[in-house]
Amino acid sequence: MVSKVTRRHHNGKLDMVFEPRRGYTRMPHVFQQPPLKASRELYEGSDPTATVFVMESSGGMVAGDRNDITIRLLPGSKARIIQQSALKVYRSHTGETCVQSIDVELEEESRLEWMPEVIIPFADSKFLMETTIHLKKGATLLWGEIIAPGREMRGEVFDFSSLKSMMKIYVEEELLAFDSLRFVPDNLHLNGLGLLEDALYVGSIWLVSEKADEIDLRAIHEAMNVGDGLRAGVTRLAGNAVHCRFLGVNQWRLQQELKRVFSELAALI
Amino acid sequence: MKRPNDDSSNLSNTVAIPTDIQFLRLLQIHDSAFPIGTYTQSYGMETYIQEDTIRTKEELIAFCTTFLFQNLVYGDAILIQEAHKAAKGRDVDRLLHLENLCGAIKLAKESRDASVNLGRQFIKTVSPLVEDAFFDEWKNRIAANEIKGHYAILYGIYCAVNNMDAHYAVLSYLFSSVNGIVTNAVRAVPFGQNTGVQAVHLLAEEAVAAAGIVAGLTEADISNNALGIELASMKHEYLHSRLFIS
Repeated sequence: MVSKVTRRHHNGKLDMVFEPRRGYTRMPHVFQQPPLKASRELYEGSDPTATVFVMESSGGMVAGDRNDITIRLLPGSKARIIQQSALKVYRSHTGETCVQSIDVELEEESRLEWMPEVIIPFADSKFLMETTIHLKKGATLLWGEIIAPGREMRGEVFDFSSLKSMMKIYVEEELLAFDSLRFVPDNLHLNGLGLLEDALYVGSIWLVSEKADEIDLRAIHEAMNVGDGLRAGVTRLAGNAVHCRFLGVNQWRLQQELKRVFSELAALI
Repeated sequence: MKRPNDDSSNLSNTVAIPTDIQFLRLLQIHDSAFPIGTYTQSYGMETYIQEDTIRTKEELIAFCTTFLFQNLVYGDAILIQEAHKAAKGRDVDRLLHLENLCGAIKLAKESRDASVNLGRQFIKTVSPLVEDAFFDEWKNRIAANEIKGHYAILYGIYCAVNNMDAHYAVLSYLFSSVNGIVTNAVRAVPFGQNTGVQAVHLLAEEAVAAAGIVAGLTEADISNNALGIELASMKHEYLHSRLFIS
């Protein structure tokens, strides 16, 4: 009889609630279950924005692991969440899929910035990420994301089994944007014309703000430092929202430019 | 006399072959001269043409194949199929959901606008020709600004109320979409007429295969892998000189 070595799945949980208290945004309610962990709130000078680092102490997700993150910003609160390191998704030796689910609720006049770290799907990994963001009137969102093709330095390029990413943004319960990527390299020639072509890294920025209309997108577009293996574009979504996409050959170059545009947009909203 | 043989058709027996008049109606609405503005849309192809990426027939076919299998199949075609089904069941809530979804998956502004412009031209053109209370009700929602009026949804409803089978609705939509792209490429690159004809001849087979895939898909399969085309569509907004509006 073949004995099957079973491993308990990690089910990381992180529930964060932010609210304004005496001039600063605090995170009075946080529930954390390993391997997910949040830092305490940090502040830059008199800026009321709470900066919180999210940590993944296991070093990566293994077949069938789940990470569930919920973020709730009560009216008027301002938070910046930074992933401490790249998210590694290991080989799925059992065939099970790793799932990361992020649910965000932004109430009136709240503001969230989610700074991107890179998602690295290793060879033979299976990964599903579902991000759902609900905004109330007057809420502001700036969200970034970068997907790598694998451990490129080890020659792992699109060797994962599957990577599915679903991003849904709702404003006042109306679906504003739905971005669904389904990369299954065995069935899909990702380098084809009209797909990723020469690009290996995919970066995205999502912005929702009542000030979105005032942003000069042509100026943003023209200031984008493209070429030399990096392509980028910016467009207006329905409602008060903007989307930027980056397709790049080189991780460092894409990351630098995405972060530059991210900061440029952050200063405008 | 030619007899149909058993394997002459790969369709399941649930597909209703269009009647003569339905067949002609489909030909008419997909004619390139049908005034809904297909000839003004390149869906990002013009960016590739200006970047000199589409120079040969093979490159044109490669672009159209990705557009067909990665954009249309997993986007508009699923929505047409779902809208067709919802319209058959007179399910207004479902159609409102699909209408909203159709806009939400089109991230590039020009592609989203193209979908609404074609939809509005389509309904303006066909509404004097259709007598159907459900279709009129939907038209009134556009007039009342309750909905945007995306083409894929309106087209799915149109085919449903005219009892055209969903398979033929999807198949003819896929074919006419790539046919439109090729026609526009012939003008813009430019290519010779024969290059265009040969490309469309090949792409017809791809459209058949694509429609076969769509039949097995549902809303849960909607996806957006043609990121190159989407990016080209985003960049198109900022091109200095343009023949097309998307």
